[in-house]
Amino acid sequence: MEPLLKVENIKKTYGKSSAAYTALEKVSFVIQEGEFVGIMGPSGAGKSTLLNMLATIDSPTEGKIYMNDTSIHDMKEAALADFRRDNLGFIFQDYNLLDSLTVKENILLPLAIAKIPAKEINIIVTRIAKVFGIEDLLAKYPYQISGGQKQRTAAARALVTEPALILADEPTGALDSKSATDLLESLSNLNENNNSTIMMVTHDAYAASFCRRIIFIKDGTLSTEIYRCDQTRKAFFQEILDILATIGGEVDDVI
Amino acid sequence: MTLFSLARKNIARNFSQYFLYIASMVFSIVIYFTFVTLKYSDTIEEKTASSQKLDSLMSGAAVILIFFVAIFIAYSNSFFMKKRKKEVALYALLGVRNRQIGLMLFFENLLLGLVSLVVGIVLGFLCSKGFMTILIHLMGYDVMAPFTFSGSAALNTAIVFLLIFLVTSFQGYRLIYQFKLIDLFHASKKGEAAPKSSIIVAILGVFLIVISYWLAMQDLFTSKVWEKVGFLMTALIILTTVIVGTFLLFHSVTGFVLAVIKKSEKWLWKGLHLMTISQLLYRVRGNARTLTVIAVLSATTVTAGGAVYSLYYNTNDLVKTANPNTFMYQQTDAKSDKQVSTILSGTKYDENIEALSVTFNTKELNSASAFDSSDKRIYTVINEKAYNKLAAVQHKEKLHVNNDNAVILDIGYDKRFSPKYKGKIITTENNNAITFQSFKTQTVLNAGTAGIAVVVSNDQFKALRKDGEALKYRVIGMDQASTGLSKKIAKQLPEEALFSSAPQDFQTSIEGVGSLLFIGSFLGLVFLAATGSIIYFKVLTEAEEDKPQYNMLHKMGVSTKEMRKSIASQVFVIFFVPLVVGLLHSAVALKAFSSLLMMNLAKPVLIWMIAYTVIYGLYYVLAVASYNRIITQNNKTEG
Repeated sequence: MEPLLKVENIKKTYGKSSAAYTALEKVSFVIQEGEFVGIMGPSGAGKSTLLNMLATIDSPTEGKIYMNDTSIHDMKEAALADFRRDNLGFIFQDYNLLDSLTVKENILLPLAIAKIPAKEINIIVTRIAKVFGIEDLLAKYPYQISGGQKQRTAAARALVTEPALILADEPTGALDSKSATDLLESLSNLNENNNSTIMMVTHDAYAASFCRRIIFIKDGTLSTEIYRCDQTRKAFFQEILDILATIGGEVDDVI
Repeated sequence: MTLFSLARKNIARNFSQYFLYIASMVFSIVIYFTFVTLKYSDTIEEKTASSQKLDSLMSGAAVILIFFVAIFIAYSNSFFMKKRKKEVALYALLGVRNRQIGLMLFFENLLLGLVSLVVGIVLGFLCSKGFMTILIHLMGYDVMAPFTFSGSAALNTAIVFLLIFLVTSFQGYRLIYQFKLIDLFHASKKGEAAPKSSIIVAILGVFLIVISYWLAMQDLFTSKVWEKVGFLMTALIILTTVIVGTFLLFHSVTGFVLAVIKKSEKWLWKGLHLMTISQLLYRVRGNARTLTVIAVLSATTVTAGGAVYSLYYNTNDLVKTANPNTFMYQQTDAKSDKQVSTILSGTKYDENIEALSVTFNTKELNSASAFDSSDKRIYTVINEKAYNKLAAVQHKEKLHVNNDNAVILDIGYDKRFSPKYKGKIITTENNNAITFQSFKTQTVLNAGTAGIAVVVSNDQFKALRKDGEALKYRVIGMDQASTGLSKKIAKQLPEEALFSSAPQDFQTSIEGVGSLLFIGSFLGLVFLAATGSIIYFKVLTEAEEDKPQYNMLHKMGVSTKEMRKSIASQVFVIFFVPLVVGLLHSAVALKAFSSLLMMNLAKPVLIWMIAYTVIYGLYYVLAVASYNRIITQNNKTEG
C-alpha cells in the first residue's frame, strides 16, 4: 500500500554556516493511513521542528516530505495554504480557540474556510460534537467552559474537515489527568473507528501509551521506534518508560 | 548600577517599543512649541493691526492645546505602560523593591520626556518658519517669515511639558503600587464576555441622537425650545444627548446590527466572514468609549474647522456683496476729486451717480419679529437709469421699476428679521407714497457709503427731489486694486466722504478670519493627528492580542490574502464607523450654523470634510499595513 506520509532523509539547520545549529538530521520514516503515531523525545530533540515541517509551516534544509506522493515543500505559498486546509488538522497545546466565537462557531470555522454550504455544516458539526461529547456546549463561549472541554472543542475543530492527517502538539500538556484521558480516548476511538491518521508529539509517556506506534527522537536523529501490537496499554506504558530512561528523556509523569 | 543608568539602558535596548511613545510626545511638543513661537513672534504682531485680538485668540488656543496635549500624552503613556506591566512584574518577582521599581519608572519617564523635549523644540524651531509663512499668507500679507529662535517660547514650552512629564512620571512611579503582582502579569490577557445587546438601549441611543439633531436644527432665534430652555442649557442638552447617544450607538446599535448579520448562516459561514464579524462584535462593544471619543473629536474638528474655513472661503463673496464697486465715496469738493483722479490709473469704470438721501415714514415695515422697529428710516434713493448703468458695468441684471413703485436693495436681508418688503408702502414727509414691488439682496452701491438703497423710476426720482437731500457719488471699478492705493485715496478724502474700499474691507476681514482659520486648522491638525494616533495605538494593541489567532488560521490553511482581507475590513469598521458618525454630527452642526448665518456653506464644508477624511484615511492605510506586518511576521517566526 502507498504510504500516506513519507519523510525522506530530512535535515534542518538554523543559523549561518559558522554558527549553524542542526536541529534534525537524516530523519526518515513513513506513516501509513490509519496509524496513530507518537513522537517522543527530550526537550530540544527536534520534535517541534519535525512537526512544523510536517505542518508545512517550516521547510527542511535538505530532504523531502511526500504526502500522497506529492512533495509538500515544492508547492507555492497559496497552494500550501490550500493543502493545509484540505489535508491537515491541528490540535494545539493551548487550544487556540477564538474567544469571540461560540464553541459551535469555533468548530465550524475550518468548514467555513473551505466554503462548505451552511446546511451541510450543521450536520457535520453536530456529528463531530457528539463524538467528543460536547453537544451540550455548542452555544457557549470558550471562557464559559473548562480546559478539558476547550481541548475537546479544539480537537473537534481539527477533525471536522476529516483531514488526511491530524497533527497534535502536546495536546494534553495543559490538561488534568481526567481531561487528558477523555481526550486521548476520543482520539484513540477515532483512530480505531474512523481509520483517522493521527500524529501526536508529546513528552508525556501516559499520553504516548495511547498510540499504536512511537518514534523516539534524540539530538535531532531518530533513536528508536516501538509498536504497541497486542500489548495492553499498561505494558506499553512501561515499555515507553524503559526506553525514555535509556535515551535520557524526562520521566516527569511517572509519579 | 544606579537606577538612572538602568533606566537609560532600558530605553536604549527597547528602542522600537519606545519609539511610538517618544514620537507622540515629540509631536505634541513640536506642535505646542511652534504655536507658542508664533504667539511670541514680533513679525506677526507688527503686521496685525488687530494684534490685541489675535493675541488673546492665540492665548485661548494655547490653553486648549495644553489641555489636549496633556490628555494625549496621558493616553499614550497609559498605552505604553500597559505594554510594560509584565516587565515590571518580573522585576518585582525577582526581588527588586517596589520603591526602586517606582523610581526607575519615574526616571525613565522623565528621561524620555527630556529627550523628547529637546528633540521637539529643535524640530519645532525648524517647523515654525513653515507655519509662520502659512499664517502670513493666510492673512494676506506679503512679507517673508523670519527664521528666529524664540527664547521665551522655548521657556514656555519647557515649563508646560516638564509639568506634564512630572505628572506622567509620577503615574509611572505609582504603577507598581496600584496593582497586585498577579494583575500585572495578566495585564494583557483578558477573557471578558461580549456584553449582550439590548434593543431598548439601541433604540434609546438612536432616539437621543435624533433629539439632539432636532434641537440643533431649530432656528436659534425663532424656536420656542431655545427660548424656553435658554441658550446655554439647550446647547448643553444637545452636547450631552449627542455624546450619550453616540456612546449607546456604538455600545448597542452596532452590536445589534452585527448580531443580526450573524444570524444569516449562509453568508456568515463562508470563508473568514464568521471570524471578521465576530471579532468586530467583540471589539466594537468593548471599545464603545474609545469609538465615542473618536467620533466626538472628529465631529468637533470638522465642525470648528468647517465653520472657520467657510467664513474664510466666503470672505471674498461677502466683501463683493457689500462693495460691488472697488471704491466709492460721496463727492464733497472738486479739489479732492481731482487729486483722486491723479492717483487712479487703469480703471474699468469711473462714474458719477446722482442720488438722494430721503427720510421715509416706514411704520408699515415694522413687525413683531423685526429687530429694527423705528418709524423713520433713511434710504439712499437712485433712479432706474443710474441703477441700470451700474448694473451693466457690474454684470448684473437690469431692472425695470414701475411708476410709483420701488425696489429696495438690502444686502443684509434676513427673512426672519427683515421687514416683509413686498407690497408695503412707505411715504416721504411730503406724503409721496412709494410701493415696494420687490427687494434684492444685491446692491450696486457700496453699502459702507450708501447704506440701504432704493431704486425708483426716473419720473418718481424727479418728484422726490424736493423731499430729500441731493448727493453725488463717485463709483470706481478696477480689476485689481491694492490696499496701498486704497490708503492713498483715503488720504485725499475728508471723513464725511464715507469712502468705502473693497480691497481695504477684504484685507480687514481676511486678517481676522485668516488668523482664525490658521488657529482653527492648527488645532484641527492636532486633534486629527491625536485621533488618528489613538486609533492607531488601539489597532496595534489588538494586533498584538490577535497574533495567536491568526497563527492558528495560518496553520488551518487560510491564505495570507484572505487574512489581509479580514484584517482590512475589521480595521476599516473600527476606523470609519466613528468617522461617519462624527461627520454626520458635524454636518448637522454646520447645517445649523449655515442657516444661522443664512449662507450656503456646502462647498467649503465639503472641501474641509474631504481633506479631513483623506488624512484620516492615511492613518487607516498605515494601521492596516502595521497590523499585517505584525501578523505575518508572527506567522513566520512562530512557524
